[in-house]
Amino acid sequence: MSTLLRLKNVNLKYQTGKDLIKVLQGIDLTTKRKETISIVGESGSGKTSLIMLIAGLEKATSGKIFFKDQEISKLNEDEVAEIRRKDIGIIFQSFYLIPNYTAVENVALTLELNKFKNPEQKAKNLLDRFGLKHRFNNLPSQLSGGEQQRVAIARAIAMKPELILADEPTGNLDSENSTMIADILFNFAKEEGSSLIIVTHDSKLANKAKRKIKIKDGKID
Amino acid sequence: MEKLIKSNELSLILKYALIDLSRNYKKISSIIITLFISLFILSSILTIEDSLKKELNDNARALLGGDLEIDYNRVQGNLDLVNEVKTFATISQMVEFSTMLSTTKEANNQSLFSRIKTVDENYPLFGSVVHEPVGALDRIHKEQNTILVNENIFKTLKLEINEKIKVQDQLFTVVGIVKTVPDVSGFVAFGDFALAGKQTLELLKLNNLGSFLNYEYKVRYNDGDNPNAIKQRIETLFQDDEKVILRYPENSASGLKRVINNFSQFLSLVSISAMLIAGIGIANTLLSFINQNNMSIAVRKAVGFFSLNIKAIYYLQLFILLFLITSAAYGLSFLIIPIVDGYLSQGLGLNIKPIISIVNFIKVFLVGLLVLIIFTIPTVSAIDQVKASNLFRNVFQNLQFYYSKKSVVLSLFLLSILILLFTIGSARPIYSLGYFIAFFACLIVFFLLSKLIIYFFRSLKKISNIPLKVSIKNITQTKSITPITIMSLGLGVTLLLTLALVGTNFKREIAKSIPEIAPDYFFLGIQKDDKKIFEENILSMDDNLNLETVPIISSAITKINGVDPTTYINSNNDSYWVIRSERRSSWMDVAPKDNPIIKGEWWDLTKPDELQISLDAKVAEDFNVQLGDIFTLNIYGREIEGKIVNFRAVNYRDLSINFAMLFNPQFANNIPHEYLATAKFSAGKSLDETKMLDVLPSLSIIKIADYLSKVTAVLDKVFIAVTFISAITILIGLIVISSAIMVQGKVKEFQNLVFKILGFSKKEIIYSSLIEFIIIFASVILIAILFATIGSQFIIENIFELNWQFDLKILVYLGLGIGSVTLLLIMLTNLKYLNPKVYPLIRNQ
Repeated sequence: MSTLLRLKNVNLKYQTGKDLIKVLQGIDLTTKRKETISIVGESGSGKTSLIMLIAGLEKATSGKIFFKDQEISKLNEDEVAEIRRKDIGIIFQSFYLIPNYTAVENVALTLELNKFKNPEQKAKNLLDRFGLKHRFNNLPSQLSGGEQQRVAIARAIAMKPELILADEPTGNLDSENSTMIADILFNFAKEEGSSLIIVTHDSKLANKAKRKIKIKDGKID
Repeated sequence: MEKLIKSNELSLILKYALIDLSRNYKKISSIIITLFISLFILSSILTIEDSLKKELNDNARALLGGDLEIDYNRVQGNLDLVNEVKTFATISQMVEFSTMLSTTKEANNQSLFSRIKTVDENYPLFGSVVHEPVGALDRIHKEQNTILVNENIFKTLKLEINEKIKVQDQLFTVVGIVKTVPDVSGFVAFGDFALAGKQTLELLKLNNLGSFLNYEYKVRYNDGDNPNAIKQRIETLFQDDEKVILRYPENSASGLKRVINNFSQFLSLVSISAMLIAGIGIANTLLSFINQNNMSIAVRKAVGFFSLNIKAIYYLQLFILLFLITSAAYGLSFLIIPIVDGYLSQGLGLNIKPIISIVNFIKVFLVGLLVLIIFTIPTVSAIDQVKASNLFRNVFQNLQFYYSKKSVVLSLFLLSILILLFTIGSARPIYSLGYFIAFFACLIVFFLLSKLIIYFFRSLKKISNIPLKVSIKNITQTKSITPITIMSLGLGVTLLLTLALVGTNFKREIAKSIPEIAPDYFFLGIQKDDKKIFEENILSMDDNLNLETVPIISSAITKINGVDPTTYINSNNDSYWVIRSERRSSWMDVAPKDNPIIKGEWWDLTKPDELQISLDAKVAEDFNVQLGDIFTLNIYGREIEGKIVNFRAVNYRDLSINFAMLFNPQFANNIPHEYLATAKFSAGKSLDETKMLDVLPSLSIIKIADYLSKVTAVLDKVFIAVTFISAITILIGLIVISSAIMVQGKVKEFQNLVFKILGFSKKEIIYSSLIEFIIIFASVILIAILFATIGSQFIIENIFELNWQFDLKILVYLGLGIGSVTLLLIMLTNLKYLNPKVYPLIRNQ
């Protein structure tokens, strides 16, 4: 398997007033294509910050990040957005569906952005696969938490990204829904050959990944 | 921007703009309402202006009375030339003059100074005379001593059809009422008038100066003739006749066009003020809307949208919205036309129809677009501040207006275009520019005032009264609506108060001039031989009569320093009237008290055989003539050269006897002349018009009060329109405030919830809102009064050149009125936040 992602001595620091907060320190990480990785650690250890850096949503203070051999830490906001648009799907703990878009429209958004043909039909197929056929035209406020997260996953994976980043995807869900979401994510990654990096506190979910990374005080333990 | 030119991305942006707009339009209703009202006013002004001008242009020949007008002014003119024109075109001959119309009832007879137009059977050459009963117009041609009077003469003199009235010493039968005549471009636009047959001229004594006699020959070209060829033929025919003035349709109703231009310029400026105030509200509402969509924007960024794409979606929504609103506003502005038409058809006989103009539509759209872009640049730029990474932290920062150097420069550039759009090509560009400078100066002052208030109240530390503390906290908090409230309310109130002060001062000055300065009557047409009879009779009516009688002659300036006078002055200049046609002049031994000499000396008595001229100083300045310059005057056909020996300060507005030119009496007494008189009666005494007209039938009597009341009536109508437009500006200001409160809605609701939990009563919450309003409004009204005072004083003293007076009463009434309405609105808007539901808020729903 070839390398998908490479982080080289990545540091992230914040200056708040007089205090310098070292969020991540000397992170070196290499992931292969189709690899599933879970990131665990205590609250405030830097897990979410790490995937924010990987997604290009935050700039590292120092160090280099390569995605598919391209150094994304050097790119500007729009150039990273272009990579994210095609190759990175992100799933949040709080779902973040666009409130005034229906389930289909939320999913079709990324497909249209990637110039897929028949985006709405493809979105419907995907939602149907996730057991949401009866919810196509519902707004997010009319969906349960589990349903919202399934729509969010559908949106993140619709364009078949190389990398899926999931930040506590089951954090707001009950155990039954958590299991369902975990199955969907891992099955999809396996079927489509995507890499999956999942940040979680849930040890059961973390154990489903082939590789487990523990972060402590901003460093890989 | 290069990414935007990809067509597939553009279609994607368009799609999402349409989806967002169709689902969010309710949230931006205040943008829609304010934008619609402002664009509707602007559209209405442009549509009315265009429709009126089109009506005037379409009916230019009817308004002039022909394809061409041969005007000989006071003399009959060269009839040989006129008859020659009759060989290749149709001519309608008419003579206009002013005289007294009197009733011949058994008692309580009344008189009215009116303009009579004698017409032949060819009249009118274009258009039609609206009159009743049917056939009345024919009767004035067929029956001698018959007359058609306008509705006002008919009502004022309480006439009946076929009743006899007296015109000088002749009895005429009123055969009908004339409602409108097509050729309104001349005198009949606002005064009383009557129509009579051409034989009337021979019956009356009309050669005195007070008759304001005017001979006109209207020409209609024969069908199939080449108009330019005929025009040239007539011009060649009359080229050596110095007394004639040829007029063409394009010159018709020029006075009316000037009034329309000035009035529409003024209303356009008020409407752009409304738009700029609306712009403040639009920026604010849009920022709140973007804040509400903060998360959606972050999600879009997370899934790969460029910041530019997202901004393009917002701009496109605004663009679509603007297009729809402009279309609606422009379309609905046509509904105003029938209302205006109702007004105009009564007075002027004009029937205006709505004119669809692509140029006007584009102009309205462009103005809307400029205002939108100027005010939304800092708002939409705030999208750059939204970070997709916030989605991980579940925190969303409240967005602020974002000003980059580039956006500030762009905004200023667009603002300059907007100002130029309203300045260049306007009737008075300097006034427009001055207005904009004053507007932005006020805006800056009100903004600084808001900052000063916030700074002052922040420095207050020891406040124990809880509602006061809460209200001060509301005023001074970071997301306070204080600046927006103060700016929008301040500008609206300033505009209304300024116009109110200008209006009251103007009306008071006109009303004041009747008892204090002006005489009660002007008497015109007193012949040299009748002077003694006139003075004896009028003095017998009042022993303490203040009577002033001065000689008058009519003269025309034909040359200045030996050259054509038109080379000295532009026809748009205020003083052009001095050379436009013959003017009345007088002479006197001593300089009049109210016409002080400001340069030069009074008459040189050592040169009684030379004509010396005393000239109005303003006229001298406009013509750029100096003492010692020579005017060549045509007096009764003789050319006489006169030397300018002094300049006088003449105030025509005092309505006493004023002349642009006065002559030295030693020279002028030898010229044939007649007299003009003014009379002011002592308390309890009045003029017996009937007796006076019995003695001197050809005398013209003008009652000053009647004319001033007519002017006041016209002004009243103008001020109703102006007040209506400025009230709309206030309304827009109120919508802006209301939207600003709604922007704060969530914070307010949460705050009230906390108050509720802490045990605040509803009364105390209302009380704190009241204090907040009083603090803001008190400071706004004080500054607005200051600006209105300065502004109205400048307008009254410098533009109208009248005396200005502070009017506290009108300011108090208006201030209280606006204050009450604003308070009511604020209370109503806040009402729904007074009883927040606890559960949804604490669950963050």
